[in-house]
Amino acid sequence: MNAPREIAQHDDRTLKIVWDDGTARLYDVVYLRRNCPCAACAEQKSAAADKIQADDRVRPTEIRSVGRYALLIAFSDGHRTGIYSFETLRKFSGKL
Amino acid sequence: MISTGTTTTAGKPSGGVASRRAVGDSAQASLAAVDRVVAIASGKGGVGKSTTAVNIAYALADKGLAVGLLDADIFGPSIPLMTARVEPVVYPKHSTNPVQPPQLGGVKVISIAMFQTRQQANILRGPMAAAVIRQFLGQVAWGKLDYLIIDYPPGTSDIQLTLSQAVALSGAVLVTTPQDVALRDVEKALSLFATTSVPVLGIVETMSSFICDGCQKEHHVFLSAGGEKLARKANVPLLGEIPLETNVVLTSDRGIPMVRQFPNSMSAVAYRKAVDQIEAQLTKVTAADDTMPNFHLVWQTQEGGQR
Repeated sequence: MNAPREIAQHDDRTLKIVWDDGTARLYDVVYLRRNCPCAACAEQKSAAADKIQADDRVRPTEIRSVGRYALLIAFSDGHRTGIYSFETLRKFSGKL
Repeated sequence: MISTGTTTTAGKPSGGVASRRAVGDSAQASLAAVDRVVAIASGKGGVGKSTTAVNIAYALADKGLAVGLLDADIFGPSIPLMTARVEPVVYPKHSTNPVQPPQLGGVKVISIAMFQTRQQANILRGPMAAAVIRQFLGQVAWGKLDYLIIDYPPGTSDIQLTLSQAVALSGAVLVTTPQDVALRDVEKALSLFATTSVPVLGIVETMSSFICDGCQKEHHVFLSAGGEKLARKANVPLLGEIPLETNVVLTSDRGIPMVRQFPNSMSAVAYRKAVDQIEAQLTKVTAADDTMPNFHLVWQTQEGGQR
């Protein structure tokens, strides 16, 4: 199962997730913003064949659970439609 | 802002953080005192989901538990008919107070059918239907409940996804009839719950056999033991096989659940047995549950960070 055991802010720009198999991974929040899985961002990415443009200073404002399977991350640029499933997060490298 | 590390709250969202509500925000507050939320679902319509949801809810209530029943079928609500509430609920317009769900036979029930006359059809696009569901979760005074039973609409669309996102469901019960065509659809529902990490508690097979009211003999009309096959395939227990009895139909239409009207009938006995198994399964999955429902973290930014 892809379930987090611990989710925490590691530093100003890094989210830390400890998964249920004990592995810990650090996620650059700017990377998360640029890899937003929401429909609008996915369409933009496939149309422009490019990453989402987001400033290096973008940060989450808050992070919430979505049901039992995902996290919703609200960002300081006003974008808050990205639902990051645990499955997706496990596939992310987390590094820019 | 001074960095104080992480702020996490379990169970209740902290106020004043977001200008707009995030997914699940209000639902988490409204369902804070609800112990277990169980979905009654199927991929296919007409397999007896609502009948099963009603009988499970009332069988739980008969055990002395506090139970709520949410009819999530916005386009074909049938719960009020089965619980003898067909007249609309009067509730104040433009009020921010939560709606008090009517207590019907000791169960708190809410359905879209309570807010309209019977002849009206609900012609809504997906996002509007999803908004109604979020209101049922977040703006109904459910209070303290041992169980909230959610009667799902058929299929795997907006409403089902909204429910999986807005609530950390404790588990799902899948309802099917014995034929293969129904099974194929319920497999899609299985995949929905797998995708959204909701534990499937088991399968309830309805219309397993027909109890002839002339000879009291059990006839297996659909032949195949589909529920059992599916349970084996999905590696989940078969919670019950509910026979087709004329009384089931009659009680549903009269608004008295089978488990109340004919508690000694084969169906009622089978439903009560299913409820015992559901409770046992929930105890098992809850013990092994290490997910973090109602997780909330407010990001702490350093001086000069973009806010």
